[in-house]
Amino acid sequence: MDGLHDLGGREGFGPVPGKEEGRPFHEEWETRAFGIMSAVGEPEWTIDWSRYCRELIPPVDYLTRPYFDQWATVVAAQLIDAGYLTLDELKSRKSLFHASPESPPSTPEAAQAFVRTPKSYAADVSSEPAFAIGDAVRAKLSNPAGHTRLPGYVRGRSGIVVAHHGGHLLPDAGACGEQWGEHLYTVSFAASELWPEAEGRRDRVMVDLWESYVEPA
Amino acid sequence: MTSFDPKKIAHIHHELHAHLPSEPALRTKALESLLVEKGLVDPAAVDAWIEIYRDEIGPKRGASVVARAWTDAGFKARLLVDGTAAIDEFGFAGDATGHLQAVENTPEVHNLVVCTLCSCYPFSLLGLSPAWYKSNEYRARAVRDPRGVLAEFGVELADNVEVRVWDSTSERRYLVLPEKPEDADDWDEEALARLVTRNSMIGTERRLSALGRTA
Repeated sequence: MDGLHDLGGREGFGPVPGKEEGRPFHEEWETRAFGIMSAVGEPEWTIDWSRYCRELIPPVDYLTRPYFDQWATVVAAQLIDAGYLTLDELKSRKSLFHASPESPPSTPEAAQAFVRTPKSYAADVSSEPAFAIGDAVRAKLSNPAGHTRLPGYVRGRSGIVVAHHGGHLLPDAGACGEQWGEHLYTVSFAASELWPEAEGRRDRVMVDLWESYVEPA
Repeated sequence: MTSFDPKKIAHIHHELHAHLPSEPALRTKALESLLVEKGLVDPAAVDAWIEIYRDEIGPKRGASVVARAWTDAGFKARLLVDGTAAIDEFGFAGDATGHLQAVENTPEVHNLVVCTLCSCYPFSLLGLSPAWYKSNEYRARAVRDPRGVLAEFGVELADNVEVRVWDSTSERRYLVLPEKPEDADDWDEEALARLVTRNSMIGTERRLSALGRTA
């Protein structure tokens, strides 16, 4: 979606804030919000449905509200959407019905297991890869309405395939609750192809792109 | 049932904006108390997540991996081929590191990692990301003005050094393998690990040094 979340290359931003600061949390509420966003889930929520729900935060809130606050709000929105919670309950702070989640609430043991279990997003794809390492490709100049991981700043720009990773779950489908894969590539773009001011520089930007995001250049 | 309907979510967000407390601490508190009351969240699970990422998992893990790559050529080769399998030799593979790629700095190349679309980061290896990594400023500028961003972090690069910016658009995650400090040639793995900073593994620091430190 053409949301404000697609920040790569946007101009007018100032210095990076808080460069000297590395602690994961600064305020107590941040720890709680992080814990909530991590401990609340539903099996059918794909990673890209959750990302999409964050992208749909009203633009001013997206740019100004703190990071963990945004994720706590996203969890609330997802729970309301799925029927586990109502806005009236949140307004009144009172539980009005007993929800029946598809799975019981996450446990401390599940948290420990989650952080120790690498999750694979690889997916079988029946078709042969359309591109090979060394191929020149162009990111499609498209504006898909739904969630996508094709950043705006590479659309219409050409790069070189530098890696093929086999099939990976397609985020655009995941955001619709569908789980199927496409070939995934790393495409290397010359900075000078992306930004006029980078003319003459040898710098490059590497972007992972699914097969439907690109066409032969 | 989840709707997967963006219009519905957008509507809910506008309602939440209008009716939830604006102050983040109050908003979080309101949400947590209700979720606990409704049995949708186990407070012990919330505590567990906080403790894991506050006390247990952090950039020291990545530093151990980097130090081993500096001292064990076989490990370094494995790390560059299959990052996930290599960090699993330490038991570090896990949250958001199912597809890890290490990218190596050299005298001619400097790597920098960003997630322009959200905040992707190799959590089980580096812990939670610093706030600046998630900032709008870093996300917007790292791909367009990497040398300007690096200069703000105190990294000055010669023109003949190629900057490679890795935008984490897929579930693949990146670890920058910094160059070994020249002044710590005879240090052992454990001592070397203490010289590796989190920023050097994201790419906002380049020249690590043993200056003023003892093995």
